[in-house]
Amino acid sequence: MLCIVDTMSTSNQNTADPVIAARNLRKSFGDVEAVKDLSFSVAPGQVVGLLGPNGAGKTTTVNMLATLTSIDDGSASIGGFDVATQPDLVRQLIGLAGQAAAVDEKLTARENLELFGRLYKLPSSERKQRADELIEQFDMADFADRVAGTHSGGQRRRLDVVAALVADPPALFLDEPTTGLDPRSRAELWDAIGKLAAGGTAIVLTTQYLEEADHLADEVLIIDKGTVIASGTPETLKRSLEGDVLEIHVDEGEMPGALELIGPVDGLVSDEEARQIGVPVGDDVARSLEILRRLEDGGISISDFQLRRPTLDDVFLNLTGAPTEKAEVPA
Amino acid sequence: MTAPTGSPVTRPPVLANPSISIRLRRAAQDTNTVLWRDTLRTLRQPDLLFFAVIMGVFFLVLFNYIFGGSIGAGAGIDYLGFLVPGVLVITALQGAQQTSLGLAADLTEGVTDRFRSLPMSQVAVIAGRTIADAARNVVSLLLVAMVGLLMGYRFASFVGAIGAIALATAIGYGFSWLGAGIAVKVRQPDMVGMLSMFWLFPLMLASTAFAPAETMPGWLQPFVNYQPISAAADAVRGLAGGSPAGEDIVLTLAWTTALLAVFGPLSVRLYKREPQ
Repeated sequence: MLCIVDTMSTSNQNTADPVIAARNLRKSFGDVEAVKDLSFSVAPGQVVGLLGPNGAGKTTTVNMLATLTSIDDGSASIGGFDVATQPDLVRQLIGLAGQAAAVDEKLTARENLELFGRLYKLPSSERKQRADELIEQFDMADFADRVAGTHSGGQRRRLDVVAALVADPPALFLDEPTTGLDPRSRAELWDAIGKLAAGGTAIVLTTQYLEEADHLADEVLIIDKGTVIASGTPETLKRSLEGDVLEIHVDEGEMPGALELIGPVDGLVSDEEARQIGVPVGDDVARSLEILRRLEDGGISISDFQLRRPTLDDVFLNLTGAPTEKAEVPA
Repeated sequence: MTAPTGSPVTRPPVLANPSISIRLRRAAQDTNTVLWRDTLRTLRQPDLLFFAVIMGVFFLVLFNYIFGGSIGAGAGIDYLGFLVPGVLVITALQGAQQTSLGLAADLTEGVTDRFRSLPMSQVAVIAGRTIADAARNVVSLLLVAMVGLLMGYRFASFVGAIGAIALATAIGYGFSWLGAGIAVKVRQPDMVGMLSMFWLFPLMLASTAFAPAETMPGWLQPFVNYQPISAAADAVRGLAGGSPAGEDIVLTLAWTTALLAVFGPLSVRLYKREPQ
């Protein structure tokens, strides 16, 4: 059903040694296998996106790489140091922005950055300067001197991600960095992540948003139930769907009739609530016209239609049979 | 938002086998950093200091004016002179309970997760907090002592007063690590709060902090006589009142050392344990 693309391909084909390497990672919690046999690597300047629904094993993977969760089987290294046996060294090379806002709520944004700078043991002459710099670059001046407990969700999230950048680590883990951010903050953060990668940082990013993976990642691993079900560049993954999707919106009460007229089509997606049907039509324009004509002749009133290139959403649907954001949460 | 890379950052060298002295220096640096952070937090939560002091004042006023007459007359002693040193020790013990509650709250806040991913000594998280709490304890002890003075209590000497407060701080510091051990084991602040009643109240009330052991039932006296808070109360009383208390001082310091020796490594091990 799917075309797996070779996992090492990247858009900017980097030949440097990987900064982050995960080999056959496994992790179980009791009877639940959270991660089963996951391998990937991230070169300097590369962004790898782990894409999947809640419970797919993305956070567990990040936590294993960031020394927070022990590895049951397999191995991982950061900058050549083994995560399991040399965690102290690995911690000097990583920055982590986890899902929960991990900042001190009783300290101001500036004090938080200072705190983490001290713990990374940056020279005292640089700590304040670095904090000032990050505050300016990430547009945090408005709330830099207020305690984090009073920040808005978006401000705190931003501080959380920025706190991971204090020591300008060569390996960065961002676990759903834009969840809960308003569109403007999200766009800014995307911009910043792109620039960090351009500066040579190896980045692992987890997300539930296909759009985000599409926008940021050089390579996307689609994860479901702890395993990689597809991987490749966003482009290859989208290409793997081959061809366009005809998206049809119909009027109230027309869905059953429309579906009957279209008949069974492989990969057809219907959304009752949105009164929307997506039909994969390949590159065959005649086929699209034929479907529309059939509906029109059948007296179905079509409110809108469009022909579009497949999105990563479609890839995910195709692979798992469930849409990402509305997916049932697997155990 | 401009380029986030900015000016270069000097990260310390990644040493595969840092020497003991480098590791100790880094641990001390981290403890100092956590101490700075916890002190900032303490200053922003003056209610914690307020509660510690107000509890001490409560005990002074309640016991002196309500039970003072009967306990004092029954044992034939000057009750205020007996009570103030005892309440100093109890105040220090309350501070230890705050270590427990504060650390448990910390563990539920996300910042602890970040600490785990940082190249820092994990001992520092607890060590820094206990030292910050000890510092706060000194302030509460001074305030409670002042209330005692206002009520008519007099230290035998200035040096004795300093010694009394130092010793109360020391035993409080030992118990801070017990509190830390409970916090990292249990982790839920509500649960930690309830559990602290179980160790705090027996130690506090079945001790010679408020009343002489002779006034208590015979079956209770062995516990009262041999538990650390009694030793500390007697020692602090000796120092504050200028009477010989060498044995009790040694005993109190021994208890403090024992608490640190047991709960120090235990707390750190439990803290490093993976969060579930």
